[in-house]
Amino acid sequence: MSRLRVYQLGSGVAVTVFSLLIPVIFPQIGIHLAIEVLIYALFAISFNILFGYCGMLPFGHAAFFGVGGYTFALIFRHFPGTPLLLGFVAAALLALLIGVFIGFFCVRLSGPYFSLISIASQMFLFAVALKWRSVTSGDDGMTFARPALHLPMLGEISMRNVVNIYYFTLMVVAVAILACYLFLKTPLGNSFVCIREQEKKASFLGYNVYLVKLAAFLASSILAGLAGGLFAFFSAFVGTSFIDLNMSMSVVVMTVIGGMAYFLGPVLGTIFYIVFQDWMSSLTNYWMIVLGITFIVIVLYAEGGLISLFKNEKVRLWVSRLNK
Amino acid sequence: MSFPLEIYAIQATHGVVYGMLLFLVASGLTLVFGMMGVLNLAHASFYMLGAYFAYSVTVYSGNFWLSLLISPLFVGTLGILVERFLLRKTYKMGHAAELLLTFGLFFVFGELVRIVWGSIPLSIPVPMLLAGDVPFMGRTYPIYRFFILGFSLFLLLGMALMLMRTRIGIIIRSAVSDAEMVGALGTNVPIVFLGVFGGGSALAAIAGVIAAPFLSIYLGMGADVLIDCFVVIVVGGFGSLPGALIASLMIGELQSFGILWIPRLALVFQFLLMAIVLIIKPTGLFGEKE
Repeated sequence: MSRLRVYQLGSGVAVTVFSLLIPVIFPQIGIHLAIEVLIYALFAISFNILFGYCGMLPFGHAAFFGVGGYTFALIFRHFPGTPLLLGFVAAALLALLIGVFIGFFCVRLSGPYFSLISIASQMFLFAVALKWRSVTSGDDGMTFARPALHLPMLGEISMRNVVNIYYFTLMVVAVAILACYLFLKTPLGNSFVCIREQEKKASFLGYNVYLVKLAAFLASSILAGLAGGLFAFFSAFVGTSFIDLNMSMSVVVMTVIGGMAYFLGPVLGTIFYIVFQDWMSSLTNYWMIVLGITFIVIVLYAEGGLISLFKNEKVRLWVSRLNK
Repeated sequence: MSFPLEIYAIQATHGVVYGMLLFLVASGLTLVFGMMGVLNLAHASFYMLGAYFAYSVTVYSGNFWLSLLISPLFVGTLGILVERFLLRKTYKMGHAAELLLTFGLFFVFGELVRIVWGSIPLSIPVPMLLAGDVPFMGRTYPIYRFFILGFSLFLLLGMALMLMRTRIGIIIRSAVSDAEMVGALGTNVPIVFLGVFGGGSALAAIAGVIAAPFLSIYLGMGADVLIDCFVVIVVGGFGSLPGALIASLMIGELQSFGILWIPRLALVFQFLLMAIVLIIKPTGLFGEKE
């Protein structure tokens, strides 16, 4: 095996062990933060399918997160006996359905036009969530009893315990991220990058640009819906904060800070965002502005985001010297 | 549902007033977009900053008219600085970087406002000269709203004259349709764009100032007007000023009558209008570019 391969394998094992041990290492508030990181990481990865891979910048991506969250909450509020996993499937499927409607309008648009329709459709759904009080309870939001997980062999696993929630979320997110990674390695996934780089050329080569973009949009909606469902599950609550402008904005910030050019960039950005938020908000009220300025500096001077520091040749050389 | 005639007249006037206000904000946005293809999300922050500056100036000096002068000057200067020292760096980096930068500025300005002025909604009184009501269609109507109407019509007229009748207007209009060619013919397009950007920011600030006494000054006002402006740009057509005017008035009326008839769905109507326009004419009512 080459050194790179060993390095990759080693870091993979390290991350796995670390994520399995988190409840032991950070027993208190750390688990909650870790769960948030997992869910937002999935959300940011779904965002980055569109942004990093296809070059489309959806400013209203919370639309799908919110749809997933509301779907999950409504199901368990009205039908508490539904199997847990079915709730996530429904959340993802409804996000897919909404994605078909919104994608139909905005996928054929490029650049700022796409971003604009994306944000408008999110605000439309926000208005629906706010005003359709009989279903969504408006700005009060809804609570529901967090369902337990029924497994065929092991019986019922309660989800009252935060450690169980953590492992369950870890499992779902890991499977989803892996699926997404493999999906992006397929010929269809490669054609996203192809279209981002040379849209005209791709269409001359016979790609149906519209359909390929729509496929990316739908894949992204499904994952965002799943993330929304998970977040509703974790907080046993859903409210307009799931679908508002702030949610859309934070996913943009996470992805860009982490680095949109790499598959795992958004994950790094999410970790940075959540840890930074937790750390800074205890120190100062002005943490958001520090974050905003960091964001602007990264946009202007470090397009690759934080992860490019790891990929940077100089930094890599420096790290390898340290290892010797 | 039916209402007496004068209610319709009053709602229609409300709609025109809000529509004109919206136009003041949207016009700068659509011009900048038409010229450089930059969708400036921070434009809404200029509107918000205009209102907050107006609050401070009015509180310290006690004079609303002074704020109508100072606030747009401040914000226009800020706009020029933003374009010259931040936005200009991103032109060669592509649309995503431009969008992200203006987005970051929107974020930072929002936070700055929260730090400086706090998150409690503020209000300033209607200036003495324009306080009170006048009889209108058998009822009364606030003078201040007529002032907004008149003032924005005055600005619209000024803008139309400048764009249609002056040399600089011709340059701006031709730069909207083909900036590269205008540059090749010897015009300093970056300077023109700097001016348009600053002017657009100042217009947004003026809208913020005159909106301040009748809408309250709050943190979400930027985001609210931003969404309305987006709808205006899509409906009116990207980069089209007449389109922006018509669309602003349509949105104003739609919101005004929406609240009258179906209050619960008032927020939704404008998005429906946008969807319909996108289906029938994806370039917007007056748009020519993609």
